[in-house]
Amino acid sequence: MDYKEEIIDHYKHPRNFGDLEEPCIAVRENNASCGDMVEIKGRLTGDGRIHVLRWRGVGCAISTAAASMLSEKVVGMDKSDLEKFGVDGVVGLLGGEINAGRMKCATLAYSAILKLFGN
Amino acid sequence: MIDVNKIRADFPILSRKIGDAPLVYLDSAATSQKPRQVLEAINDFYVKHNANIHRGVHTLSAEATRMVDEARGKVAKFINAKTEEVIFVRNATEGLNLIAYTWGRENIKKGDVVVVSLLEHHSNLVPWQVLCEETGAHLRIIEIDETGRLILDGAGTTQLTGRMTVTSGGLASLLGEKVKLVAVTAVSNVLGTITPLDEIKALVKKKAPQAKLVIDGAQLVPHMKVDVAKLGADFMVFSGHKMLAPTGSGVVWGSKEILEGMKPFLYGGDMIGEVKLTGTTFAGIPSKFEAGTPDIAGIIGLAAAVDYLINLGMENVREHEKELIGYALGQMEKLEKEGLVTIYGPRSAAERGGVLTFNVNGVHAHDAAQVLDKYGIAVRSGQHCGAPIVERFKEMAMVRASFYVYTSKEEIDFLIEKIREVPKVFKI
Repeated sequence: MDYKEEIIDHYKHPRNFGDLEEPCIAVRENNASCGDMVEIKGRLTGDGRIHVLRWRGVGCAISTAAASMLSEKVVGMDKSDLEKFGVDGVVGLLGGEINAGRMKCATLAYSAILKLFGN
Repeated sequence: MIDVNKIRADFPILSRKIGDAPLVYLDSAATSQKPRQVLEAINDFYVKHNANIHRGVHTLSAEATRMVDEARGKVAKFINAKTEEVIFVRNATEGLNLIAYTWGRENIKKGDVVVVSLLEHHSNLVPWQVLCEETGAHLRIIEIDETGRLILDGAGTTQLTGRMTVTSGGLASLLGEKVKLVAVTAVSNVLGTITPLDEIKALVKKKAPQAKLVIDGAQLVPHMKVDVAKLGADFMVFSGHKMLAPTGSGVVWGSKEILEGMKPFLYGGDMIGEVKLTGTTFAGIPSKFEAGTPDIAGIIGLAAAVDYLINLGMENVREHEKELIGYALGQMEKLEKEGLVTIYGPRSAAERGGVLTFNVNGVHAHDAAQVLDKYGIAVRSGQHCGAPIVERFKEMAMVRASFYVYTSKEEIDFLIEKIREVPKVFKI
């Protein structure tokens, strides 16, 4: 795969990167195979939609770009919207071409954001 | 010496392309490619001889049984072991678990000590860690220095506390009368470090003579001549798939005296003596440890791989890889001087297997590997099943290029050339 311009842009200039003051929901997700970590803080609206979201983390260009792109995309979504968007949606955001070895990188932030809604 | 071009002609996969680029396979520490002689041996078994072993009087079963017996003999001779000391398993990981589940659970009790090194693959750490958690035994870790060499002298220990408390330090400071087992790798799969087995053995004999010594030979047996009679260990494990054989073929070697005293690993067919509803007796070694139908074709493939390596000469294999790693380190050090890369592990070819570990500065290992893949170069990236080692160097991940009999200097030149392209992609 090629690193598309948009991925490099989000990697070099991640959106919504940072901390969020209390009260908020904080979640973490790790990728044990490469040490990548993402920490997401967010607030939900009364009807369970993502109102604001900030993230921090360390990782590769794919996991960083995915977190950055998702941080813009998911605002306004509720749990079922996000589930419908799914892993395919994340791959689509990244240009539609992610090999099996990078799927964990691509979906790290997605898995974390899902946790915002609890169980 | 080895004629690389002649060898390469034996490996069909080396002529394939990745996109438009010829494959440059530098991931042999993960698994090696297979020569046509091995592929033909597997095919020949399925086409002409396929049957279960030890199961019937018919011709095919007898042929298959003879082929597995001959394979065991070949593998035994290859490492200078007695034939019955060679136990076939799936891979080195299963081999280490076999030792932990049988000898380990029989002999390691609360208050005992197990010593491993920081250089261990997860497969030679986690089984012992879990055993210690279960039994209340203590785990001790041999520390490494900045260059990735094991620290053998006894200069102080450190306590690490998490789910359990472990002690780390130089080997001499970790040994004592409570130590029941020392399990160390012969060659690090992450850093390529060749560990000083003779010195380790001498220290263990002196300060913990009661301890058994387990050698993880996964990165040793494919690359160097091994003589278990001189190794001075009690057990050694290795994987066939890292030495030109198919996946599913691995070996536990154990000294006969110890194996005979051990309980079986898995229970079932082919490992029994006499079965009555009221109780069962078990077969002798090695059958006792080989329940169920083994990977027969894998074992036959392993025998063909051993033939191939013997034909090359293991001294020649090591000489070839020593030359390659020396050359690769020299070339990489030029990039290091330019500030492009960070290199991990020992800098001398004499102390290092064919494993070059590095990061492109400012680029995550996965991203570097992904860019190299575009040029057809296959390298491993991540934590290499050795997370504590990667963390020791304060990294999240590393890139690893690893060599074997078919690796050429031209491929290393190509790798070095394309490493220069990596930072450009990320505008560094």
